[in-house]
Amino acid sequence: MRTAISSVSGHVKIIGVAAALALGVAACGGGGAGAPSAGGGSTTLSVTVWNLAKTPEFTALFQAFEKANPGVTVKPVDILADDYPEKVTTMLAGGDKTDVITMKNVTDYSRYSSRGQLLDITDVAASADTAKLAGLDAFKVGDTYFALPYRQDFWLLYYNKGLLAKAGITLDGAPTWDDYAKYAQQLSSGEGNDKVYGTYHHTWRSVIQAVSAAQTGGDQLGGDYTFFTDQYTMAVGLQKSGAALDFGTATAQQADYRTMFGTGKTAMMPMGTWYISGILESKKKGESDVDWALAPMPQRPGSAEVVTFGSPTAFAVNKRSESADLAKKFVQFAAGKAGAEAIAQVGVVPALQDPAITQAYFALPGMPSDELSKKAFAPDKVVLEMPVSDKTSDVDTILNEEHQLIMVEDKSIADGIRSMNERVTKEVLN
Amino acid sequence: MASVTTRPAPIAPGAPRRRRPWRNILIGTSFILPNFLGFALFTLVPVVAAFALAFMDWDSYGTPEWVGLENFQRLWDDESFHVALRNTFYYAGGHIPLTLVASLGLALALNQKLRGVNFFRTAAFFPYITSLVAVAVVWNMLFNPTAGPVNLLLEAVGVDDPPRWVSSTGWAMPAVIITSVWRDMGYYMVLYLAGLQTIPKEYYEAAKVDGANAWQRFWGITLPSLRPTTFFVLVMLTIQSFKVLDLIVVMTGGGPGRSTLVLAQLVYREGIVEGQFGYSSAIALVLFLIVFGVTVTQFRLNERRNAS
Amino acid sequence: MTTLREAPPVTKGPSRHARPGPSGPGYARLRRVLAYAGLAAVTALTLVPFGWMLSAALKRDTEVLAIPIQWIPDELRWSNFTEIWDRIPLAAYLGNSLFLSVTITILQVLTGSFAAYGFAKVRFPGRDALFLGYIATIAVPWQAYMVPQYIMMQRAELTDTYWSIILLQAFGAFGVFMMRQYYLSIPDELCEAARIDGLNDYGIYRRIVLPLSKPALASLALLTFVNTWNDYMGPFIYLTSNELWTVQLGLRSFVGQYEAEYAMIMTGAVLSVLPIMVIFLFGQRYFIQGIATSGLKG
Repeated sequence: MRTAISSVSGHVKIIGVAAALALGVAACGGGGAGAPSAGGGSTTLSVTVWNLAKTPEFTALFQAFEKANPGVTVKPVDILADDYPEKVTTMLAGGDKTDVITMKNVTDYSRYSSRGQLLDITDVAASADTAKLAGLDAFKVGDTYFALPYRQDFWLLYYNKGLLAKAGITLDGAPTWDDYAKYAQQLSSGEGNDKVYGTYHHTWRSVIQAVSAAQTGGDQLGGDYTFFTDQYTMAVGLQKSGAALDFGTATAQQADYRTMFGTGKTAMMPMGTWYISGILESKKKGESDVDWALAPMPQRPGSAEVVTFGSPTAFAVNKRSESADLAKKFVQFAAGKAGAEAIAQVGVVPALQDPAITQAYFALPGMPSDELSKKAFAPDKVVLEMPVSDKTSDVDTILNEEHQLIMVEDKSIADGIRSMNERVTKEVLN
Repeated sequence: MASVTTRPAPIAPGAPRRRRPWRNILIGTSFILPNFLGFALFTLVPVVAAFALAFMDWDSYGTPEWVGLENFQRLWDDESFHVALRNTFYYAGGHIPLTLVASLGLALALNQKLRGVNFFRTAAFFPYITSLVAVAVVWNMLFNPTAGPVNLLLEAVGVDDPPRWVSSTGWAMPAVIITSVWRDMGYYMVLYLAGLQTIPKEYYEAAKVDGANAWQRFWGITLPSLRPTTFFVLVMLTIQSFKVLDLIVVMTGGGPGRSTLVLAQLVYREGIVEGQFGYSSAIALVLFLIVFGVTVTQFRLNERRNAS
Repeated sequence: MTTLREAPPVTKGPSRHARPGPSGPGYARLRRVLAYAGLAAVTALTLVPFGWMLSAALKRDTEVLAIPIQWIPDELRWSNFTEIWDRIPLAAYLGNSLFLSVTITILQVLTGSFAAYGFAKVRFPGRDALFLGYIATIAVPWQAYMVPQYIMMQRAELTDTYWSIILLQAFGAFGVFMMRQYYLSIPDELCEAARIDGLNDYGIYRRIVLPLSKPALASLALLTFVNTWNDYMGPFIYLTSNELWTVQLGLRSFVGQYEAEYAMIMTGAVLSVLPIMVIFLFGQRYFIQGIATSGLKG
């Protein structure tokens, strides 16, 4: 801590601050005068990451990139996962020059790109193996790309093999939602501390809303949400009958989905693919002994194909980067085959879809080996969790608020959906 | 600052005699300056800049654009703003008086010569230093509609249909207020404890000789003597209540629906999350004007009471 | 403005003879028992969440947020308390937090109490307006001016150094306001007497006012220390390098994008409360009646 203090000479700084005042703090968009130099040499590449210690994919990628490019050092800028976008927004506002910015989700991407903070990398996108790159479309703004995905998570159904076997249920293929609800009823048992729920719906609105949109073709930015009705009817019915943990308790007690599934409190659980590496890890640490497998996301009756939703994660280049070429090279590397192999090794689903990589993925120790699990891993269609536009976050807020009201049964399903329609139309779309 | 040091303003009537005003100005300035310099540079300037942004459109990157009162126009039509404004007043209306009474009560109880008073004082301060996640989980468990101790107790005393607390739009705010009073009372207790030490024992001894009972001593001596402290506590409580954010975010996140959405949360959401810094600053400016209005009123009332 | 110029008039109610009330040793004992019972009840309520923290610190991650709450874990994992030191550089984080908290507390107490004297005991034109300006800024939520402040700091090249946090938090208006209110309750006569004895304002501050305000200085120091120690958003925005992180940032590093290690977080939270507890217990000796009154007898 001494060095940090002594590296700064007080007087110069005070003058700097005074100068900033003279410039007028509010009028400081483009300038960036006196922003810190990032060490100069083009052989160091800085990348913003969240929670380096707990997100092994970053280290895996960086090591692979350094190995493929001798002489290059990747310097991670470690930011806490909780408020990652807020810190990145603040840093960029202050003129930060970190080379590569990781896009945690597409909503943030649309914000940074529309403000003009990211470098146009359409040339890199053109050279990539775009046909195989899942989720690439989400990053297309007009005819331009400002980021390339390297990771693509999508939703499937986790289930506890022991509990299903005990209830005499065997899954072959994607169940319908009606079957799923029926199984959930059959699978729930016990009271108090021994209570086992048939299924667990986490508190996120996507559990109900994104899946309905994907499977019915409904538009979450459209202003008419009657297509949510079936899914809400099923979910509210399950929590009323006690086959699923009720939303009120889950929110208030900050229910942890890993605890619910990992300790056998629930027999089934729709969740994203990111949890696969989570289960593998907690079984390795001895925290969980759940006997698990995967099934495709349940489908609407009569659906011919398996449709689910997902969200990509991407790298983008900061417009202020002083080593933009190296940064572009890194983005390309991460989205390519070498990057995909590196992250599949640590149990993360790469955006690049390639049979060889999927095979390597299922070869990881602890992965289920049955055919249904492999089928679950190859859905026919993955729809983007939430469409990207300048209206996304406003609509998101409204849908989330009304979601809570329906799920705590403060509003009936019909009233809640009517209120979504009215509010989105009046407050956002007008 | 400049106006303070250079303007040879006439002394107000009733100002002290003997010394010339410029000397007082110099002495006063010399006391205030060390703090004021740091304060002006690192707080006042950004605050002024933020207020200027309230009249501009700015996404944190491009050049801010002057839009006049457009942000306030939008505010007027924004239903979420109205909801948040109502909720903030609701919260403040419950939190301020309850915390004031609870913290004063605690301070009085723990200012006595009791065995283990140090332990009790530390315990009373504990809620303020307990992790917010722990606070939220435990209080939400206490308030659980079906199995929570609060409702079991209510049912035991004959309440047939106890509230659903944080799972309902009507009772989420009372639950938040109760939790926040519980959390903050130890903090303000510390301020009251310091204030109680200023009251000379002689006052109480004289009052006892006069035959005043405990209740009369409280109203006649303790409360009037604590007035500067109470004023400070009241102003700080007002400011902190209107700015409340942390506890609500962790406990309910503003929900269910918008039932516990408060202004500071809206400032945060529209600004740093959405990147609409002009609009966010406009909300902050309104919040500021409300608090400032209330605070100035409190100052006026306090001065009038002191004068009488 | 002071309220203590003379003893406030005591409302003369009906005298003790008119209202005898219960008395005697038995009644005193009953009152004592009741007082302790009441305090014990309040204390239990204030400590329940801390109890939850302690129990969570002894669990596995997957047990912490189990529903319903399990108060006593199946297996007490004391190993959490040794494991956490290997998982994160907790000692360094605690040291950083201590450095920041102590520095900021000292600066805040010194400059705050000094400025408060100017606002409470020196009369000059514009004083009250300036004071109101101080208070007013407390009313602005930090989230509103965080970004302009960050831009300023970035231009001065102070981000990612302790200077930023220290400069931002050491000169808050809270201390000025609190100390001013306290000084107002010190009678002006005391200062005037000292002036006649030949002390100037600096001497009065140093010799009369400061010694009299120990309880207030102690509570200001305590509250500033606690607030700095527990601050998360300030260090999060300004400190990027891991070696500068405070304990609150370190604990959040157990939260991932999709999951969190709650047992480790709670273990760390319990450990980070200990220094505050020590300081609180230690600082209590300044909350003793009589320090302030000793000066008032003259």
